[in-house]
Amino acid sequence: MENGRISASQMALMMYPVVTGTGIIFIPSLTANAAGNDMWLSPVWAASAGWIAIFTALHLHRLNPNQTIIQYSERLLGKFLGKVVSLVLLFFYLVMNGGGVRIYSDFVTGSFFEETPTYIIVSSMMLLSAFAVRGGVEVIGRTAEMLTPIYILFLLLVFLLILPDLRPENALPMLENGFTPSLKGAYTPQSWFAEFFVIAFLIPYVKKEKTAARWGVISLIAVTLTFTATNLAVLFLLGEDVTAKLNYPLLDAIQYISIAEFLQHLESIVMAIWVAGAFVKFTVIQYAIVLGTAQVFELTDYKALVFPLSFLTVLFSFWGIVGEADSTYHSSTVFPLTSLIMQTLLPLGLLLISYFQKKTGLFPR
Amino acid sequence: MALQLRKMLQKGMSIAVLVPLLSMTFLLTGCWDRTELNDLAIVTAVAIDKAEGSGITLTLQFANPSQMGGQQGSEGGGGSGKKPTITKQAEGETIFEAMSFIQQQLSRNIFWGHNQALIIGKEVAKEGVQPYVDFFAHHPDPRLRSYVYVSEGKAAEVLRLLPQLEPSSGDIARELAKLKTGMSVTIKELLQMLNSDAGSAALPKVLPIFEENEKGGLQITGTAVFKNEKMIGSIDEEVTRGVLWLRDEIHLAAVKLSPDNTEGFISFNLIRSHTKLVPKIENGIWEMQVNIVAEDDIVENQTNLQLTDPQIIQQLEELLGEKVEERIYMALNDVQQELKTDILGFADAFHRKYPAEWDAVEDDWEEKFLEVKVTINSKVYIKRLGMSVAPQGVPKEEVKRTE
Repeated sequence: MENGRISASQMALMMYPVVTGTGIIFIPSLTANAAGNDMWLSPVWAASAGWIAIFTALHLHRLNPNQTIIQYSERLLGKFLGKVVSLVLLFFYLVMNGGGVRIYSDFVTGSFFEETPTYIIVSSMMLLSAFAVRGGVEVIGRTAEMLTPIYILFLLLVFLLILPDLRPENALPMLENGFTPSLKGAYTPQSWFAEFFVIAFLIPYVKKEKTAARWGVISLIAVTLTFTATNLAVLFLLGEDVTAKLNYPLLDAIQYISIAEFLQHLESIVMAIWVAGAFVKFTVIQYAIVLGTAQVFELTDYKALVFPLSFLTVLFSFWGIVGEADSTYHSSTVFPLTSLIMQTLLPLGLLLISYFQKKTGLFPR
Repeated sequence: MALQLRKMLQKGMSIAVLVPLLSMTFLLTGCWDRTELNDLAIVTAVAIDKAEGSGITLTLQFANPSQMGGQQGSEGGGGSGKKPTITKQAEGETIFEAMSFIQQQLSRNIFWGHNQALIIGKEVAKEGVQPYVDFFAHHPDPRLRSYVYVSEGKAAEVLRLLPQLEPSSGDIARELAKLKTGMSVTIKELLQMLNSDAGSAALPKVLPIFEENEKGGLQITGTAVFKNEKMIGSIDEEVTRGVLWLRDEIHLAAVKLSPDNTEGFISFNLIRSHTKLVPKIENGIWEMQVNIVAEDDIVENQTNLQLTDPQIIQQLEELLGEKVEERIYMALNDVQQELKTDILGFADAFHRKYPAEWDAVEDDWEEKFLEVKVTINSKVYIKRLGMSVAPQGVPKEEVKRTE
């Protein structure tokens, strides 16, 4: 079905924006609310969900070579149950991507294009990502290879330019109330890190599978550093109280940049780059959904599904989400739990069954 | 034949699809948020005053685009008689309400992105600034980097002033803030102060000085002190200097000394300084050690002292240190004993070093602050002597050295 192949490094570059794309908007404020001035520590704890996701995805692939999670869950759980689980997982990703596109578009309309209707932003983004998905995994991999480095470069530039305004003492006293607040702050970001499980859809198409583990880990470490650096930057600049009250602290931080009154008002450039990163994110998830659906229904080609499913994603970005309050509430209460079940516990369960099967040889291969 | 027909049909189809698709791009060029520069009324400064009834009077200062650019050469754009800035005023309960009334008087969209300064009228400051700062962190257009001032009289007066050197009074406000002769506070820093442990804030006070008609300049006249978002008093420029030393924000400081056994003064220019607050709690006594290291250059010498003499320099360094300490103690007395408000960052310093002890006094910090014992250790270095090493115009034999 998928004849394209990507390199492990392309996979890493695809995964980086998957996690940071929308996370970087929400995570600083959410973690500041829960963890106070230990907010920078929360992503480090939250990364454990990413480690688990990469570990399970890689081991599942080792035990079930050249198959995506849709294919091996059917083999491990039986045809009926396997298909049900696969559909539930795909439904989860559909809701997640719809919600993600909505977060993105609310951010764009809320801070820049105030009068542009949400559906324009949502559907133009989904149309573009549909074209990329139709191109297959190779096209997405190369797109990521081109866009993600620029994305990372601009983030680094932002951190560099904001440096003169940072006050590190805002982080003190550290661990005033022990580790509990920072662990609480990790509850929401863990769901973003768990998105690393999407590699379960990509590993079968990685050229040198052995390097997949290394590049997966590199990507995870890069994401952890990014979130920690982002949280540190907004904490050092704004302090915990102001950060917790702001909706998009990183945007405020970028707007605060002023070097010699010349290098300022950078947010529109940063925004353009950020949209590129968000595009990679939605495309990768959308690809997983489309490929997975085609595999569940055992189609010969997934191309016919691209546009209908992208349209469905657009619908999911509206269903049940009236406004930004719903998105924020969903991201901080419902999503962490469903993500824990679908992206952490379910794969761990499959891995257990897989091990059991290998040890006992009970189920036919 | 059939195959050829099909190919042609496909080609025709793709053209039939492509043409309308491409022609759509012509319709899609202007989207909802298209804004042209000449559709914008660019806000350079905002003033908030108390309205006669309830609510506030909002004054916005706009850049007059036809007068802004080409005035570098001509004096303040004076030739044409047009003003470089325009002010508009409206009343409302909220900033946005007042702003929408101003919008009704304008042919262009109000644009906040280049707002330089927020001037708060004294009366509004006394009633509390909190209701009015939210807008600047809430509405997507204003940026947190605008500088905040409290005006001596009506804030609108500051905006009405047409400056002589800068294009707008908003620009003067920004430049004054950057020179750091007084306090320099951005909206972001004000928000942080209002959220801080001490719950107090300090904002620079500004006074417009009209010289001819509407032309003139702005002057920083000290600092307005806020407790729980309400202005409760103010300190003058000299005390402000002491506060700036304590807050490690001192940037410009001209100090003059008159050493014993000589006549006249020596002037020093502060090059850099660093203040470190070291909180200490011993036997229940809260103490704040203020360690200051500063570097001064000599810029003027009215006395007959020979400056290349290391011993004389050493004496001057000691005298300078004492002078700095004296200034700070004076400021401390005003702030700690009279205003009884912690605008010095002591609360945060104690909280950072002694979180447990802080928790116990958090609610009574106002009283505890009065008991904090402050000791100042300063060390001033005179590193450069300036362009003259001995007093100019003094006969050689009268120049004084240590023996």
